[in-house]
Amino acid sequence: MSDRELKLRYLRSQRPRSRFAYWSALLLLVVMIGSWFVGDFQVEDFLSERRLQNLTRFLHELIPYPLQERDFNLGIALKWAGEILAEKGWSAMVVTLAISVAAIVLAGFGGAFFSLPAARNFTSPEPFLPSLRNPHWAWRFLWRALVWMTRLFLIFVRSIPEYMWAFLLLAVLGPTAWPAVLALALHNLGTLGKLGAEVVENTEPSPLSALRGLGASHLQIAFTGLFPLTFSRFLLFLFYRWETCVREATVLGMLGIVSLGYWIQDSRARNHYDEMFFLVLLGAALVLIGDLLSSLARETIRRFS
Amino acid sequence: MKMTRSWDRAFLHKGLGVRRILILAILSGGIWAFVQLDLNPADLVPTSGGVQVAWAFFSRALSPAIVYEAEFVPSDTPPLLWKALQAAGTTVVFASAAMSLALIWGLLLGFLASSSWWVGDPAGGAGNVTAFVRRSIAPVVYGSTRVLIAFMRSIHELIWAVLFLAAFGLSHLSAVIAIAIPFGGTLAKIFSEMIDEAPRDVAHAFRGSGASATHVYLFGLVPRALPDMTAYSFYRFECALRSSAILGFFGYPTLGFYIAASFENLHYGEVWTYLYTLLVLVILVDWWSGALRKRFVV
Amino acid sequence: MMWSVNEGNRKSQGRTSSSRGASFTLRKSSVVFGSTVALDSVDLHIGSGEAVGFVGLSGAGKTTLLCLLNGTVRPTGGTVQVDGRDLATLSFEELRKVRSGIGFVHQDLSLIPNLRVLHNVLAGRLGKLSFWGGMRAFLFPQRRYVHQIHEILERVGIPEKIYERTDRLSGGQRQRVAIARALFQEPVGLLADEPVSSVDPARARSAVSLLTEISREQGLTLCVSLHNLHLAREFFPRLVGLRAGRVVFDRATEQVTEDEFEALYDLNGV
Repeated sequence: MSDRELKLRYLRSQRPRSRFAYWSALLLLVVMIGSWFVGDFQVEDFLSERRLQNLTRFLHELIPYPLQERDFNLGIALKWAGEILAEKGWSAMVVTLAISVAAIVLAGFGGAFFSLPAARNFTSPEPFLPSLRNPHWAWRFLWRALVWMTRLFLIFVRSIPEYMWAFLLLAVLGPTAWPAVLALALHNLGTLGKLGAEVVENTEPSPLSALRGLGASHLQIAFTGLFPLTFSRFLLFLFYRWETCVREATVLGMLGIVSLGYWIQDSRARNHYDEMFFLVLLGAALVLIGDLLSSLARETIRRFS
Repeated sequence: MKMTRSWDRAFLHKGLGVRRILILAILSGGIWAFVQLDLNPADLVPTSGGVQVAWAFFSRALSPAIVYEAEFVPSDTPPLLWKALQAAGTTVVFASAAMSLALIWGLLLGFLASSSWWVGDPAGGAGNVTAFVRRSIAPVVYGSTRVLIAFMRSIHELIWAVLFLAAFGLSHLSAVIAIAIPFGGTLAKIFSEMIDEAPRDVAHAFRGSGASATHVYLFGLVPRALPDMTAYSFYRFECALRSSAILGFFGYPTLGFYIAASFENLHYGEVWTYLYTLLVLVILVDWWSGALRKRFVV
Repeated sequence: MMWSVNEGNRKSQGRTSSSRGASFTLRKSSVVFGSTVALDSVDLHIGSGEAVGFVGLSGAGKTTLLCLLNGTVRPTGGTVQVDGRDLATLSFEELRKVRSGIGFVHQDLSLIPNLRVLHNVLAGRLGKLSFWGGMRAFLFPQRRYVHQIHEILERVGIPEKIYERTDRLSGGQRQRVAIARALFQEPVGLLADEPVSSVDPARARSAVSLLTEISREQGLTLCVSLHNLHLAREFFPRLVGLRAGRVVFDRATEQVTEDEFEALYDLNGV
């Protein structure tokens, strides 16, 4: 072995590397590949004769009913689509959109509110300044406890999926639109609160410490300092979350709130797959429009702030 | 206040008009939505039956069940906590199987959808066929890939699940594919954006040393975006866990199945046990990705 | 080993074989970006093995000139020849081949911060490898490549950093990585764009001296753009002065007069 080889081997053995990253990668790989063995997925069964027959029948059923036994005719197709739209499609789309908007507005207010106590640099006896006097430990502990309580709350509401929140709230509140709105609002409040707290913690602190130095209170700092400094970033996140709200609002209907999902579930139950598929496409169109509006809004915010 | 002038100018002056319009738009949108949905705050007060359910349910938050609440439990049923763990395991298995598919699709489609790979060499060869093909075919390829991605993303995983349920019947594989389709689309979109936004200086340098377009893409652009891509994949994994749990509501043996069953049997303590199991799963993944990111991005 | 720098140094001082280095010829080459004229009808010949300094204010067209030489910028008028071949007539593959023989040390270094030094240097060879060859080299670097890279890093003075992450290095060390990457191309010509701007004055001097030494040892043609006149005069036997896209002088360093230098750096009337 040459001298160079020895040197290289030594250098290689000394190379900085993270065991944690290494094991994480390995574990991930094992979990991902292993899940295919553990998870009883039966790939052959999936492609079995019976299922494929089922699939062909299903695909045939997707063709609009009046067109199934005849040649394609645009007039008939449009009439069919128009009837579904007039009967339920349009109003369901409006409801879906309204649920998402109502939810994101609530989540926006809630998230902005909770992001403050979840930010470590703001929620301290002396925000954005190294403490001049050393406050009593119990006092410091209380402030810290407030941060952790808020974060725990945010993680909790965020970990429970929207659909599950809606399921639980429906039993409590009865069949109004509230369960859907609140479910979306709660989950997104958790996300926006967390993201907002990160924004606050990453804000350039000098103007804020200056405000504190001038004797501003917590509330005054929040309104005159943090609000203008972080508002644009927060809005970016708000619109980004709104996109997912539109997606979820469609689905929550399956629990019985009259958004698109309700009619999708309904037509499935009646085995009207053509209608179901049309409604699914309406939902997809709504989501795409939402994406477009949101990216336009985000682009505007980026440009002007 | 003299000190505030610089940020005052940067943050307030220019954005104020647009910002005001946006706030107004959001608020009026909110009012429209509330009116449209007939959202009356009075309805927030639960009905008397609702109050009972709410109290019975939320009062168990601090005392989740440790053993089954049913009076009769078949003798061969595993203990509740073991069952919760099993359900959590199934949830993870569904989520990670779905993520493994989604990552493959995401990387492939993200590759096709990113425009950087296709950006022609400004000083490329003279009258060259490949260069011409690349320049004229590229927009078609990445354009149509983006349309495909948008379609995959725009349909929610639960709706994909419903479609598959109708098309194939109940099958674990169809649940996994249902999650993998929209997740793959989202990953592809975000990956392609991250790659397109990565600094181009290295790509230009590589091209200047004669590297081929594929090499420039793989070794010049992708490595720079890799830490962000990893972090985002973790976040999506967290989302996949939630989606996989929800699929239980459609009959798959993940956490959602047991939550729905226990809730309908009024075994609220058990519901909390399963909810907390999900909570722990999500927090674990969240912590893991945070710890990894700290080591990645120094 | 394919080449050994230290031995070469001992064997021969000054220029080695004149056939190794690339030659560059520009005929009435112009480059116009939109409405700005970056280079205006430049005539220039750089012979094999020469070491030339391009001097002038920033914005004078030095970077564009360097980019013309390795074919990453196409002249809007006139021709660029490398080793007698007009770049405009080459096919895509042929152009790649020419480029792979010309090392370029960029002003911003253009390194991938989150990869190890080894991989950043390895990237220099990509132009000479097939798709799978490149994949293999990047994922499982061959031992002879690693040895060669270690040798080059030894030459530029940072052999112990081979497995270090590039963003953990200092500015001067990173610059050496960029030089090593260019050398790992096994180039016949070496171009460097302001190798001084990213490091402090002491390091700047050693960077320029390193480039000139290595080029001399290996008989490479070297073109370096510099706005530091002292360094340019100290290290380069031939200087090309650029101002507003035009060549204002092009001759042996000792023949350039003080007046010419002063005129070159006169900020008035730019």
